[in-house]
Amino acid sequence: MKLDKEGFGLLELHAHLQYAVDLELWTIPFYMSAMYSIKDKNTQAYQLIRSIVNQEMLHLQCAANIANAFGLSPKINVPVYEGTKVPHLDFSLDPQELVKQYEPYTAEIGPLDEEHINAMCLIELPEYDTQLKSHAQNAMVFCDTPTEYGTIGAFYQALLHGVALHKDQIRGGLKQVDFFAPFYRNMPNLTVTGSKDIGLSQVQLLINLITDQGEGFSAKEECVPKVFQNTADDPQPAQDHFAKFNEIKTCKDDRPETFQGGGADDSGLQGILIEQFAELTQVFQAMFNGENPKQFFPIMASVGASIRNCWQNGVTPSFSESTTQEEK
Amino acid sequence: MSDKLVFRVHPSINFARFGTSDEYILSPETSAGLPQANDNVTGGLPIKKDTESDPVTSNDLRDEEGFLRKQAARFRIYAYENGKSEYPSGEGTEVTIGTVLPDGRKVKTMLWSCHLANKKSAAYNVVNDKGIKAYDDGVPQRRNPEVHGDINDPNRLNQLMIDPGPRVINGRRQSSVGFNASTPAEFVNNKGEVTELPDYPIRFPQDTNEKLFEPSGPLNTLGEMRTDGMGRLLLLASSGNAVGQYDEYDQVIQMNGDLNNAGWFDSAADGPVDVTLVFEDDSIEQVHGAWVVCCDPAYAPQIRNVVSVWDNLYDMFVRKLSLQPDLYDQASDKYNCEYTPSFTQDIKPIFIACNLQRWTANLPPFALNAHTAVDAIDAKDDPNKTIMSGLNFIRNPNKDESNIGAPLMPLSLGEAGTSFLTVTKTQYFNLEQWSKNSFSQDEGSKLGKGELLDIASLSNCLGGRYVPGIEVSYSIMDKEIYIQDWRKSGAGPFRIKHKRMDYQGLNKADPYLNIGWIPRHGMTDGLEPGDLSKFMAIPWQTDYNSCSIHATAINTDGVNMSNGAESTLYWSWPSQRPDAVYVAEEVINNVLPQQKWSVRGPGTYAINPASAATFQNPVQSVTDWDKIGFIIQGTNIDDKYKQYDANLYLEVEGQLTAPGDASDPVAHWPFNANPKKKL
Repeated sequence: MKLDKEGFGLLELHAHLQYAVDLELWTIPFYMSAMYSIKDKNTQAYQLIRSIVNQEMLHLQCAANIANAFGLSPKINVPVYEGTKVPHLDFSLDPQELVKQYEPYTAEIGPLDEEHINAMCLIELPEYDTQLKSHAQNAMVFCDTPTEYGTIGAFYQALLHGVALHKDQIRGGLKQVDFFAPFYRNMPNLTVTGSKDIGLSQVQLLINLITDQGEGFSAKEECVPKVFQNTADDPQPAQDHFAKFNEIKTCKDDRPETFQGGGADDSGLQGILIEQFAELTQVFQAMFNGENPKQFFPIMASVGASIRNCWQNGVTPSFSESTTQEEK
Repeated sequence: MSDKLVFRVHPSINFARFGTSDEYILSPETSAGLPQANDNVTGGLPIKKDTESDPVTSNDLRDEEGFLRKQAARFRIYAYENGKSEYPSGEGTEVTIGTVLPDGRKVKTMLWSCHLANKKSAAYNVVNDKGIKAYDDGVPQRRNPEVHGDINDPNRLNQLMIDPGPRVINGRRQSSVGFNASTPAEFVNNKGEVTELPDYPIRFPQDTNEKLFEPSGPLNTLGEMRTDGMGRLLLLASSGNAVGQYDEYDQVIQMNGDLNNAGWFDSAADGPVDVTLVFEDDSIEQVHGAWVVCCDPAYAPQIRNVVSVWDNLYDMFVRKLSLQPDLYDQASDKYNCEYTPSFTQDIKPIFIACNLQRWTANLPPFALNAHTAVDAIDAKDDPNKTIMSGLNFIRNPNKDESNIGAPLMPLSLGEAGTSFLTVTKTQYFNLEQWSKNSFSQDEGSKLGKGELLDIASLSNCLGGRYVPGIEVSYSIMDKEIYIQDWRKSGAGPFRIKHKRMDYQGLNKADPYLNIGWIPRHGMTDGLEPGDLSKFMAIPWQTDYNSCSIHATAINTDGVNMSNGAESTLYWSWPSQRPDAVYVAEEVINNVLPQQKWSVRGPGTYAINPASAATFQNPVQSVTDWDKIGFIIQGTNIDDKYKQYDANLYLEVEGQLTAPGDASDPVAHWPFNANPKKKL
């Protein structure tokens, strides 16, 4: 039995919309740091993670667009990368025999190594797995106000349920952002332009895009539907994130050479990155709040450049002062 | 030669641009897109006729009847103190008629000579996915193979080569000396005497064709020479026309491709420029000569190529001909990590070029914002805090990154066999030094005036992607064609070696020139006339037309080697061959309108986006190329009713459509070709 409108009220929906933004934002620096640690940009691993990072940015945009359609301008919080904690995901909810395949893992910023690949696989764990699905459903049945889910897929299943319950709240065309349409020529629209029922269909399409790109469409057909495939610059557009990460995980012998961090930051590169990332979060905040900050992409690109620059100089990237302090 | 001075012509390689008008302006003598002292007009614009350096305005581009004015290549002579053979020398004093040298000799006149030729139809095919490698194990197939004989057979050369022979001009304000059949051939011998060559075997297509298809008039000249009020040489290209043969059924031979059309001739040309200084006391001085290339009109003269011919040539001279040992040590094959490039001369031009691409390519808004950020970087910025930090978005030419697309830059198509363009190794090294905070903020130029002219001329031409190119091809990067002992000889760098021609034993029945220099065959005796342009497409218009936008597989034998979708389209030559432009008359209150394709209107409508922005029938490219508009800076657009911002570069003087005419829509990148049909 799923929660009804009272059990999954508008407040809960807004909370979930915020979780979606938190979660998608969290993956971007985490994946980007792993990607930029790879020395050779030609490697399959680098190219696959690049395609995933780009889609995580798209997912953040989708999550924010959905939130704004429900009247919530999402808050952009600086993500925290500590221990094994991934926001709103609790892998203990998943079947442990499955989770064990991806242990040990870490949620701290680092290079592309086994622990980080495991984390990325766990984050994108497919919800189409029947065992996982039952866990997800259980979570929705027994938890009044769920804040954590076993998989992203389970989380978005809950969100799908919530948006349908509150479809009358949808207002199209509010603070919608689109940077990616030319990369998805088969996609009707990457924004929510309609209200109520029409808006709901668009919201559901965006959620399906997120989950199908991330964890895949089904176990049998490991293929991202054509409509959700990148049409421009993805080396394997039909492959979902989980499949891509698994490909990297299973090619242990071909694991690309990475830069090693942990060195002294004589040039203040971490500080530069932290500053730029803080600026980026402010720009995100402004952008998803209906403003049109022209510096979004230059800052986004600068953050990427700074991550690479950190690695090239033997420094582990850092995105907030707290992380830096702890490392010190 | 004087004991104290050496004389050199500058630019060492210069470019005369086609025009359908009998009138002319002057080819630019400043570098595309770069700021100019005390002026908000950036470099690269052609120069008004009869002026030293006044940049043209839009009304100067065409004559009163709307025909396109030619751009004359202006050559000057500079005197250098002997022994100053380092680069850059930082010196050089112009010598003109009336100049008195330090030894008291006064220049009476300057005997300019030039020999233009067009060997395209007689030469080898351009192989677009192999480039210069097509000469590694032999030679490519000959063009016009149905014409009997081996490559140097007189039968072929007589039928396929265009050669008016050499011409001479001297004095002030001399009017036209044509490279045509009616002007006698002449040359200057080593005593400084002008000698007529009545037996020179002049060759034009009509000599061996009873009838030719001449959609833009007869091909009866390769250009002309004039002099200006100071006695400098002005070399004008032809009208740029092309003619085709008829087949045995009296049908015009159809053009069946972009590069190697059989049965066609064009009036592009190139050749050596020599000059002898004659003094009042009748003594003479030989001058280190130059080379001229007659080529396309340069429709976007201020839009800087990220990689220009200059960048390629400089890179080759640095790494192979010891141009600047303090920058690169040839013996150890290494750059000097202590070298400090100049931000103004070595770094900033790349950033400027990046930002200027927006005026000729359909870039998406997020890329434009990023390019703005690149261009905003100045010498005082900490590189680590900029968008270019760690050179994260620059394709590294020292690694095999040429098949990785966005976000690596440049995003346009690369050289033969590779998907994407890379900056040169020397450009990249300089960028690396900058990114390490090891650069000079010095604003002052160390270059002499003649040296600046060399750079300006070459930096206004397409580099990097010589498939086969617009002005010149990959051969321009081959050290074999240059005077390699440039220090010892006093010739200075970037000077093409002229094959010695004494014009003896002429016979009207026998062609004088042969097919000349080819790469990778150890030929170091210099170039003949026509030895640069023969590597270009025939006719030039079909290649210009088709090289708009392509999928990367065009470079890699039809197979997508890039990391992206096989249908994603990229620009071939975005700076030099405008693709998407803003039309000035559609700009209101400096608000930009939707972009339009540069080549548009009737005859250009394409079902497949991969064929957009081109004349669909190649014959139209031969007849209508001169109707394409030019992209120039807002400051120099003549408009009675509007003023344009200095930061806008807009299309003017286009004749392909009128306002309101329908044209194919321009989508923001990334955009795609239609999918391949499944068999």
